[in-house]
Amino acid sequence: MPLLENGQIVQDGWTLVQDDQPLPEGDILLPLSRLSEGLGRNGKGRLGIVLKPDERVSDLKEALPRLDLVSLNFPIFRDGRAFTQARSLREHLHFAGAVRVTGHFLPDQYEFLLRCGVSQLVIPEQSDLAVWHQAHERITVAYQPSVLNERPEGFAFRRFLSS
Amino acid sequence: MPHSSQPPADVGRYAYDAVDRTFLKQRVEQFRDQVQRRISGALSEDEFKPLRLMNGLYLQLHAYMLRVAIPYGIVSANQMRTLAHIARRYDRGYGHFTTRQNIQFNWIRLEDTPDILNILADAEMHAIQTSGNCIRNVTSDQFAGAARDEVLDPRVHAEILRQWSTLHPEFTFLPRKFKIAISGSAQDRVAARFHDIGLLARMGENGRAVFEVYVGGGLGRTPVVGVKLRDDLPEEDLIAYLEAVLRIYNAYGRRDNIYKARIKILVQALGLGAFRDEVNAEFMAMDRSRYRLQPEVVAAIRARFASPVFEDASAASAQLVAQTKADPAFAAWVNINTHPHQQDGYCSVTISCKPAGGIPGDVTSAQMDLLADMADQYSFGELRITHLQNVVLGHVRKDNLFALWQALSAKGLGTANVGMITDIIACPGLDYCALANARSIPIAQKLSQRFSNAALQQEIGALRLNISGCINACGHHHAGHIGILGVDKRGEEAFQITLGGNSGEDASIGQIIGSAMSEDETVDAIARIVDTYLVQRKPGERFIETCRRLGAAPFKDAAYATA
Amino acid sequence: MSVDRRNNRRDTEGCSVVTANRLLDGRIVWLDAQGKWQLTIAHACLFPNDGMEDVLRSQSARAGADNVVGVYGVQVEQTAHGPCPRTTRERIRADGPSVHAEFTPLWQPAPAVVSGS
Repeated sequence: MPLLENGQIVQDGWTLVQDDQPLPEGDILLPLSRLSEGLGRNGKGRLGIVLKPDERVSDLKEALPRLDLVSLNFPIFRDGRAFTQARSLREHLHFAGAVRVTGHFLPDQYEFLLRCGVSQLVIPEQSDLAVWHQAHERITVAYQPSVLNERPEGFAFRRFLSS
Repeated sequence: MPHSSQPPADVGRYAYDAVDRTFLKQRVEQFRDQVQRRISGALSEDEFKPLRLMNGLYLQLHAYMLRVAIPYGIVSANQMRTLAHIARRYDRGYGHFTTRQNIQFNWIRLEDTPDILNILADAEMHAIQTSGNCIRNVTSDQFAGAARDEVLDPRVHAEILRQWSTLHPEFTFLPRKFKIAISGSAQDRVAARFHDIGLLARMGENGRAVFEVYVGGGLGRTPVVGVKLRDDLPEEDLIAYLEAVLRIYNAYGRRDNIYKARIKILVQALGLGAFRDEVNAEFMAMDRSRYRLQPEVVAAIRARFASPVFEDASAASAQLVAQTKADPAFAAWVNINTHPHQQDGYCSVTISCKPAGGIPGDVTSAQMDLLADMADQYSFGELRITHLQNVVLGHVRKDNLFALWQALSAKGLGTANVGMITDIIACPGLDYCALANARSIPIAQKLSQRFSNAALQQEIGALRLNISGCINACGHHHAGHIGILGVDKRGEEAFQITLGGNSGEDASIGQIIGSAMSEDETVDAIARIVDTYLVQRKPGERFIETCRRLGAAPFKDAAYATA
Repeated sequence: MSVDRRNNRRDTEGCSVVTANRLLDGRIVWLDAQGKWQLTIAHACLFPNDGMEDVLRSQSARAGADNVVGVYGVQVEQTAHGPCPRTTRERIRADGPSVHAEFTPLWQPAPAVVSGS
């Protein structure tokens, strides 16, 4: 499925590894249960971890400096736990790698995702990118700080959202 | 984007600047686009529903219902005229004040809604987050900025919370809705202990506010009195601390069962101590400097609230005394519907939206226009909607009360019943609501007629009667001294009675006294309950006090006694 | 879309009508014998309860094309005045709110209101 990053569709070079598969070469995404196995892997390639909505971000704390990607999931767009997971990764743990979201979410949530620190979105096939761009550009003001550290706008916590 | 430096125009509310106005217009266009995507089929109904709900638009029993936010209950005279216009042009000539200080229109068309929101935006109003699983409209004390017992004006902090929670990127898809109330008086007039978060503000040692924080209160299916989470939260940590509470809730609140998804269930499941530990750990781990509420931020928000400029009204009290002596009906209204003001010669007036036999909280467009005119004439153009579904004029000179009362009485708004048995809270019930089991309004009308005699009401004294048409408890029946809960008995309406609820500092939850009855049986049973109180009470004892002293038994016997 | 289960409660015997709300204005509508959505229940087509599952499935499938939402069945008794719902809830939907007699299902704004601002 298309991978949206910085407003563009980009190539997804990561391989998602299921619970019982042997570890392949290259950039791999593992479930949290296989974290130590992934960290112990010999050879080249980057490591990413898939975190389920009910798994704690703090479980990645020690490993985070060695991870390049954390992938979060929306079982349904109304389940907003990934927002908190993303923001904790950025704000508490100062994670600088990629934060990816998969599953069911809407263009109308795009700006929220970005402001919580998500950098990559796996979006449905045939998605109209214009709808996503519009969702991002539509609103230029926010009323609270975010991990993106946007420019203050006037007074209080208002921020100017550049597109 | 240009910054406006024009002085604030309205008393009691935050004046928008160009940035705020731009934001609202962008939000309207976003919704216009979402409506178009729904109509074109790009959005399914399931996908569209949360988006429309976050703009206050429900699909109710007969039509769409639009709930417009009235932040901390404050509305200017011109805003009230805008609401009257919307009721006239897009609805059926009336609106309904809700128990969370908002207003609802019952007959709205989806295709008109973007235009309505645009008209609201021109008046610095919106319907953002009046529904949906997000932080809802922040409610406050209807006597804020006026009450003699007030320690600080909570509306500035309510506005700070309104702004912070608006389109919050992390907290817009919570497990369930989240309601915050804030009071600046030790006397809890906001039902702080029946909110997801209740804040009681008081002045700290250094002249800056501190907050008592209550968590996990609420009515609905599982009524719970909130518990104290923090005693002395400094003003500068207000936002950071709420962020921490919301994060714990968003991460761990239940999502498998909507009836167990409110924060009260999480607090109960973890226990208060463990919940507090989680919140504190989050609070310590977060970048608090990012969320610090600096004094200059509070000052900048406060500067956008205009304050009333009071006149010397030292002679007003004497004139009022003369007028009340001349007219006992007026004297009764003054006695029942006014509240002490900080300023000599002034008082706050509660305008009852509960005439005998009327629909609690409903006002017509003509009444809204009158309310606006009265506010302009007598109260610095400022009105407040109360969570008891009435309207308050905050700052009225005592020598203007007589003229005000006459004008209100001519339009059915002069009823002297605030805090009495006919000052009934009622949800819209099965006449409008898709969730209701029974109608709330007809039984409210019958009870209001039954007890309409002014002398009888005064004899009964303070008595809170609340009616909900279903277990979701929008009519706050658990918090009523007497509560009525509508239930469904195989497709027919029936009503249960609760006794002993209260929403103040000594908050308690009303308990069901027995099996459900028909509408007319319920009205008769309540009359017998009130008679029992009149017979059993000790001198000076209010209904709730007699109820607590005697327990439910004598009232239950009376309720189910058949002559 | 999902509908509250209690609205779909049906006996094995008896008849039901099909109802929904119009997408654009939210008004309540009832399915007639020609497959058109009407504002009054008097025009509604009666279906035997044992066939309702199929009727609701096919009507829900075309809800998007018909511009209606929330399709469900309502059990009724046939009376001299047409179908009458079993439950109070559905009688209020069919007749309008009991506290405003003027707001019948055919209510239209007065012309003066429409042309005025």
